[in-house]
Amino acid sequence: MKTQNINIEKEIATEIQNTFHTAEVNIKRNKRIEVKLRNDLIPPFLSYAKNYLTFNHLAHFSCVDWIEQNEFELVYIIYSYEKGVIVLAKTRIDREKAEFVTTRHLWYQAETYERELHEMFGINFKGNDRLNEFILEDWEGIPPYRRDFDTVKYATDNFYTRPGREDAKDVRENVTKINKEEIPEFAKEYSVRSLK
Amino acid sequence: MREKETTLYLGPQHPGVTGNMMVKLKVAGDTVVKAETHVGYLHRAFEKLMEQRTWMQSFPIVCRICVPEPDPNEENLARAIEEIEGREVPERAKYIRVMILELSRLAAYMLWMGGQAGTAGLYTVPQWSVGDRDYIIDLFEELTGGRIYHMYIWAGGVRRDLPEGFADKVLRTMDYLESRLPEYDKLFFENAIFQKRAKGVGIIDKDKALEWGVVGPPLRGCGIKHDVRIDEPYEVYDKLDFVVPTHEGGDVWSRAMVRRQEMEQSISIIRQVIDKMPAGEYYNKVPNPLNWYVPEGDAYVKTESARGEFGYYAVSDGGLKPRRVHVRGPAYVHGVSLLEKILVGANISDVAFIMNSLGVCPPEIER
Amino acid sequence: MALNLKGIISPYNALKQAGRKPHTVQYPYKKKEAADRYRGFHFNDIQECIGCGTCSTICQNHAIDMIEIEGLEVGPGDSGLRPRVDNGRCCWCALCVDSCPTGSLSLTKDYLYVSEDPNSFLLIPGIDNPDGQNRKSWISNGNSLLDYKRIPMRELEGQERVKSFAEVVLGYNEEEARTEAARCLGCGICTENCPVHMHIPEYINAIARGDDKMAVKIIYDNNPLGETCGKVCTRRCEEICAFTKRGEPIAIRWLKRYATETVENEKMIEEIVNPTILPPNGHSVAIIGAGPGGLTAAYYLAMRGFNVMVYEAKEHAGGMIMYGIPKYRLPLDSLDKQIEYLQSIGVEIKFNTKVGKDISFDEIRQHHEAVYIGIGFEVPYKLGITGEDASGSIQAINFLREINREKHIEIGDKVVVIGGGNVAIDAARVSRRLGAEVTILYRRRVEDMPADWEEIEGAEDEGVIIHPQAIPLEIITDENNKVKAIKYANAEMIPDPKGGRPRPKIIEGDEHILEVTTVIGAIGQEADYSFLPDDIKEKLEINRGRIVVNEDRQTSIPWLFAGGDIANRRADAIGAIADGFNAVKGIEKFILKEDK
Repeated sequence: MKTQNINIEKEIATEIQNTFHTAEVNIKRNKRIEVKLRNDLIPPFLSYAKNYLTFNHLAHFSCVDWIEQNEFELVYIIYSYEKGVIVLAKTRIDREKAEFVTTRHLWYQAETYERELHEMFGINFKGNDRLNEFILEDWEGIPPYRRDFDTVKYATDNFYTRPGREDAKDVRENVTKINKEEIPEFAKEYSVRSLK
Repeated sequence: MREKETTLYLGPQHPGVTGNMMVKLKVAGDTVVKAETHVGYLHRAFEKLMEQRTWMQSFPIVCRICVPEPDPNEENLARAIEEIEGREVPERAKYIRVMILELSRLAAYMLWMGGQAGTAGLYTVPQWSVGDRDYIIDLFEELTGGRIYHMYIWAGGVRRDLPEGFADKVLRTMDYLESRLPEYDKLFFENAIFQKRAKGVGIIDKDKALEWGVVGPPLRGCGIKHDVRIDEPYEVYDKLDFVVPTHEGGDVWSRAMVRRQEMEQSISIIRQVIDKMPAGEYYNKVPNPLNWYVPEGDAYVKTESARGEFGYYAVSDGGLKPRRVHVRGPAYVHGVSLLEKILVGANISDVAFIMNSLGVCPPEIER
Repeated sequence: MALNLKGIISPYNALKQAGRKPHTVQYPYKKKEAADRYRGFHFNDIQECIGCGTCSTICQNHAIDMIEIEGLEVGPGDSGLRPRVDNGRCCWCALCVDSCPTGSLSLTKDYLYVSEDPNSFLLIPGIDNPDGQNRKSWISNGNSLLDYKRIPMRELEGQERVKSFAEVVLGYNEEEARTEAARCLGCGICTENCPVHMHIPEYINAIARGDDKMAVKIIYDNNPLGETCGKVCTRRCEEICAFTKRGEPIAIRWLKRYATETVENEKMIEEIVNPTILPPNGHSVAIIGAGPGGLTAAYYLAMRGFNVMVYEAKEHAGGMIMYGIPKYRLPLDSLDKQIEYLQSIGVEIKFNTKVGKDISFDEIRQHHEAVYIGIGFEVPYKLGITGEDASGSIQAINFLREINREKHIEIGDKVVVIGGGNVAIDAARVSRRLGAEVTILYRRRVEDMPADWEEIEGAEDEGVIIHPQAIPLEIITDENNKVKAIKYANAEMIPDPKGGRPRPKIIEGDEHILEVTTVIGAIGQEADYSFLPDDIKEKLEINRGRIVVNEDRQTSIPWLFAGGDIANRRADAIGAIADGFNAVKGIEKFILKEDK
């Protein structure tokens, strides 16, 4: 591994920390800074990062479904061409009442990202008036990229499988039959074959 | 008299893109007044599918995100996993990866050249360039076992070492392609029809380009010198000698010139890679793919693809399968927000032409 | 605007291409041969394949089914299934090839197939395309995704070992165990060779996931002596592990050892296993012999509500695992922990009660509805040579028992052990620990020794000299009838014309004398049935010293069950455990059916 020179990252991190006291700033590696913010601080932070810290490139805007905590994590990945550093600005929003504000006024292309997240996760971006149909067509039911959307069920409900493959056997099951072995109920989920 | 506005549906099959994508145009006479991109014809929910597969099982999926240039996908996913896990990649594998990436860039530019000329009505160029691209695809077939979807780069390195005599074959192909470039110049780049069509068309505002998220050749076609290979060198790009060509103007012509010059750079990079490639291991074996728990963490990695910054945001929750993989294709910006903007005021016959110059690849938008 | 004359003329340069040889089409037409690594249709070497189904599991397109093949005859270590590829779904990524443990699966150069019949897209590689053998292109030669090397087990150094009876094998630490467990493919073929069919892939997967407690719970499902097996099992399972064809099998035994060793005491075992104990059903079963088989039967009977009484002649439970296996392989505290757990859930053991002496067999029969005999082989075979009765000539089995009782036995400084089984090796290694120089004399070659290769290696590391193809002739004694030396002859191996294993034949005149202080015989044991009343003995079917039992370990006398060395030829703990486990089903069937 190269020795990592992270002076500029330290500078940026300190500056962010001094401006946003509640932010959790963490230098992940060289050229990567992670900033965790309260969700109401995201718009001022992005505006500050863009206009004062030269992070003028919105490289990516993503959402991660942490269903266990009932939260969505929004991740803005912004890049400064001048400093050559990427900031991952993260915040968590409520999953039930999935709502956030648009950042279209900062980056014109944020509109597209917001359209996607609206469609796939059902997040409503206030201020974005173009949250119309984007990738999906006539979609009903829960947004498909939420973790609780069952793709296998969707596929079996909507498509038929080709005939002629019903004779497939599970190897582990077949071996237990040869053995006359009984796998107790509590152990069954540990059969790796359940990967499917 | 103000002309009546008509709605025109361009696509989903049309020569402007590799794939299917529809542009709904409002036109007045021959002039576009408003454009709206409609995607969804190629949506296969790859990102969702990956969440139901183990990390290694995801590799055969990601290459399908871009047909003309699948390798940045594989390389990005591999590098994202390696970054999360802290896995070292053997030096030789890094060189092989760069060779693959540059070969695929060349192949993608060949295909672009065919498309760009085709949309201008110059049909000899696609005949040539698709044929010449086949020589690169033959190389891929020999190296990776697949012609289009290579499934060759994966976490920890690459799947197989170079076959015997492969480096020489690559060099011979490079010599051949290099000898063809002047012929393409005469046929295509110097062609008066192309120049007439391309100059001053589809202009991207240089002042807005960075903020709008323009990347890759369209950005360099605005005279702005940014390239992931230079800005944030990955693999072994920092050990290679190459220049990043730029061209002023921001129109289709400048983008074409940037790509034309980059083809020479790619050939030079491939020669350097073969010259400098060290011997040794090509794969740092990952654990059994059925039982590989990638530690908790996230990573954003990016590659300079033929169309610009190609990024992967991958999140692991410490489990067998990805929590989330989100792909950022350059076409995401180029094909929607940027396209909708610069098509306004364009001539209908230039729509596909402009689209091609931006390198729009619909599967990157909807995945 | 100036006329771009150059731009108009230069494209016409292309006209000169008209005279060139075309690149793409060849006349006469020649079919393009795919590259040497091309990923085309599958081929499977049906004889090499063991039907582990990893290809089917790894296939991210769900394109591979495992199906039964008509007329396919398979031996042990094979699931009997073979892959069938749905070429309508396959994407030829070759993950299946790169994760095939046996290397039987490959992709070929064939890529063209046209048919109107969709069913013909289901290809059974190797059966539908036998000619694929010669068209193989993408093979996993040394490029496998799998790890064929097991995590090495850390052991005490040979010189360090002989200083004490400390455990030789140190066991995996957590990281080693997780890594080793992660290698497992979960096919479960190994379970075919386990006599009790432990749920091996399940507990290994639990270890890989970091859930050691679940692993222990799964182990106790059909083996109450998991820790013992984790240390000393003969692990026939590892012999048929899917990895053995091209590499080292998963360290199944050491993983079991790791999981069970994480549990510190019998209370924790009970908490983890949390057994469901049925209320007493009023039936009573006697177990003769508290060896591994008897204890297993007692444990599962007790869980099913039976009143169980175990009669043990000695002062400690465990049978051969207590008295036969040296403590550097199975420490006493480990055994105590396991037995105390069995007692804690209701297994009653009457110690120092030898049936036929302290209590009569008839009395036992009167008090219980069924009897399980697991007395083991305790009577050693004699060497049958002169001088065998001299002082200083002892039997390994007695020697080990007394040492395990921490009694002192004087063996002097030069010991010779006769035999090649695990008992012989144990006796030799124990003698080393008592400070003697040890030589093993064995009739056949080293590779013929029935002992575990790990044990043989361990003995050699500790300085035991193994002298194969040596047949003892006479024990030479001094005037006090004390062992002075042993006379033996070297032997040559004569191939068996019938194809059996070669037999040793003494080389005339090649005789040697080795001065020794002690001779330890270890050429096998047999059972002592003298406690059985004559009428029982008469009715009981005994074949070559072993009681004949059915699948339920039921003897020719319906209420009498038997297991362990006296009923099977495996001569190991797990074989006895399996007998005990299966006898429970038999006893339950026998008693409860009688009930109805």
